Amino acid sequence: MSSKKLNGHQEMVQLVGRSTAAATFLKSTVRQQQSAQGYRPVLSDDPKPYGAGFSHADILRAHSKSKPESAFVPRFERHISYTDLDDDWDASFDNDVMALGPRSGSPIARSPSPSPAAPVRPHSPRLDLYPTSRRNGGSTTGLKPHYDRIVKDPANSLHMIYHPAVSSSSAVGSASAAEIELVNARISRINKFKRVLQSSNVDVSALRNLAWSGIPDELRPMSWQLLLGYLPSNADRRVSTLARKRREYADGVKQAFGNGVDHAVWHQINIDVPRTNPHLTLYSFEATQRSLERILYVWAIRHPASGYVQGINDLVTPFFQVFLSAYIDADVESYDPGLLPREVLDVVEADSFWCLTKLLDGIQDNYIFAQPGIQRQVAALKDLTQRIDASLARHLQAENVEFIQFSFRWMNCLLMREVSVKNTIRMWDTYMAEGQTGFSEFHLYVCAAFLVKWSAQIQTMDFQEIMMFLQSLPTQSWTEKDVELLLSEAYMWQSLFKNATAHLRASGT
Amino acid sequence: MSSLDSAPSAPKPTASVKLVLLGEAAVGKSSLVLRFVSNDFQENKEPTIGAAFLTQKCTLPNRTIKFEIWDTAGQERFASLAPMYYRNAQTALVVYDLTKPTSLIKARHWVNELHAQASPKIVIALVGNKLDLCNEGGENDEEEDRRKISTEEGRKFAEEEGLLFFETSAKTGANVRDVFLAIASKIPEEIVNKRGGVAGAKGRTGAGEGRVDLESRSGENNAGGCAC
Repeated sequence: MSSKKLNGHQEMVQLVGRSTAAATFLKSTVRQQQSAQGYRPVLSDDPKPYGAGFSHADILRAHSKSKPESAFVPRFERHISYTDLDDDWDASFDNDVMALGPRSGSPIARSPSPSPAAPVRPHSPRLDLYPTSRRNGGSTTGLKPHYDRIVKDPANSLHMIYHPAVSSSSAVGSASAAEIELVNARISRINKFKRVLQSSNVDVSALRNLAWSGIPDELRPMSWQLLLGYLPSNADRRVSTLARKRREYADGVKQAFGNGVDHAVWHQINIDVPRTNPHLTLYSFEATQRSLERILYVWAIRHPASGYVQGINDLVTPFFQVFLSAYIDADVESYDPGLLPREVLDVVEADSFWCLTKLLDGIQDNYIFAQPGIQRQVAALKDLTQRIDASLARHLQAENVEFIQFSFRWMNCLLMREVSVKNTIRMWDTYMAEGQTGFSEFHLYVCAAFLVKWSAQIQTMDFQEIMMFLQSLPTQSWTEKDVELLLSEAYMWQSLFKNATAHLRASGT
Repeated sequence: MSSLDSAPSAPKPTASVKLVLLGEAAVGKSSLVLRFVSNDFQENKEPTIGAAFLTQKCTLPNRTIKFEIWDTAGQERFASLAPMYYRNAQTALVVYDLTKPTSLIKARHWVNELHAQASPKIVIALVGNKLDLCNEGGENDEEEDRRKISTEEGRKFAEEEGLLFFETSAKTGANVRDVFLAIASKIPEEIVNKRGGVAGAKGRTGAGEGRVDLESRSGENNAGGCAC
């Protein structure tokens, strides 16, 4: 199958020590008629629905009916190599495939002004203490007008974001001076981002500087993709690169599911997806769950050294939610992505996959055997705490609280079990602005700031109280302000201790 | 003799007992604990990462046992953390899913590991969960019986290994309390007594009211008189 010549340009990614038949991931540029959706594991004549109640045993049974053993994807346990199959992250090559996608500089990519069908409506300042471009009330699906252009190039959303400054004379009714000031501060911030993002060659370091303090919601999808190096900073390459990466993902889905599934991996993902952010409606919809399953499964089989590890299911959700928000004018956390045109959901899914991959590239040793990355970070957190707050460290020690008992989860899920998805998204603005090491190193300082935040309370508690407290910290009411305070405290600790590297040397373990 | 009869006169001795839950992912470990501790059930509970810590008291006629529960994550990748949690445990719940044969294999693995690595006196209960998905003998014609592991198979394994054995439903609550009560009453007095020193690696300084009270008069009443 892998050697079959497809009628287009193709190249095989480097595969170390793996069975080609199973693991080949063709970067085919052949146009795929079939979308990524609709791919489910090959379990053809099984009438049972898949979902929370679907058990491993069902898969085994169904498979034995429908497929010969030989068609199974070989198991990966025996492969010890640590391969990165996503070697083209900077999207810095293949002009050769551009001919297949829409040409750069096409009218679609560069539409200079909004079409007359989408008049830009200035918002009432009364409503717009937090102005967004999301109110239009037109479509029942909540889909933005011109979503098709945003699909091709997220920069096409920029001209739809327009908020005129508010002056006290133009303000309606009772908007106070302070409110007006807030609105105008936000608008000026949006305009700063727009200036950077609209450049034909985005200055990523300028974007980083801006993003550190938080990215406005409507500019976040594009900003994240640029900061992660998924979207090329060169505007001319965007349309073709995105088109190619999305085709590549669709091919990856086919490859992954085409020859049957790795049961153990698939089962674990299958039981975890319904348990992902169960408190948010978005994650209860069929369309969301199917997308997350595909993303996680394709990632897992392309990264056999770690495979799927619980917690990664949490990490995909900020991407899914942020990229989904690019296309809709509704509250994303209660939106049913099943309402989207398939083309749009495919794009949200593919972009989420690639950005998740980029994020995990930086922290993959958190998820390989024995999770050395986490062990190292936990040891570093302990050391850092001793420096920052010696009396807290002494108290924890006196009560025999081990750092790994509470901070393992902080590292494994990047604090996503401790703060809301919305707050996580704000944190990630800063992590991405920190560059390559945001999710590995800066996160450590965030955890330290997070721990010492509760120092006074913890020091009045005994072992059991501490454990209970640290497992359900009172962050439910946290706002963006709380997160920003945490981030600035983390920044301070990083400035003080980052180059004092002694604390990064794990002591003893 | 019920626990109520013996209660009022003198305060009963209280002992803390460390309990660890082990078992394959998604067999319902956290749900069993949630049922035991809060008498609650959540349909789609987030997977446990690392381990979760909870406590709950269990009142027996002659003493009160306070369980310090370590509910571990089931996924294989986290297995290397498990020894840290079972090392000082006096009791363990090894859980499997009655509808999932592989989960019993995993349970056998954990029992072996406990026998080899944990305290030799550890009290182990084997628990087959998700009894609510089993519709024995088609009692309810509408519901499919999803049981894949017979009661006999579980019981036989438990007998061979000298384990307590229960089939439970965290969802309906069936038998959940019984598991913990049985474990509590099975805990030998001397372990309870010794324990302050053993797992009390936990520097129990200033253990004021209601923490570890190790004045349980040994030999007075043995676990036989368990309530329920």
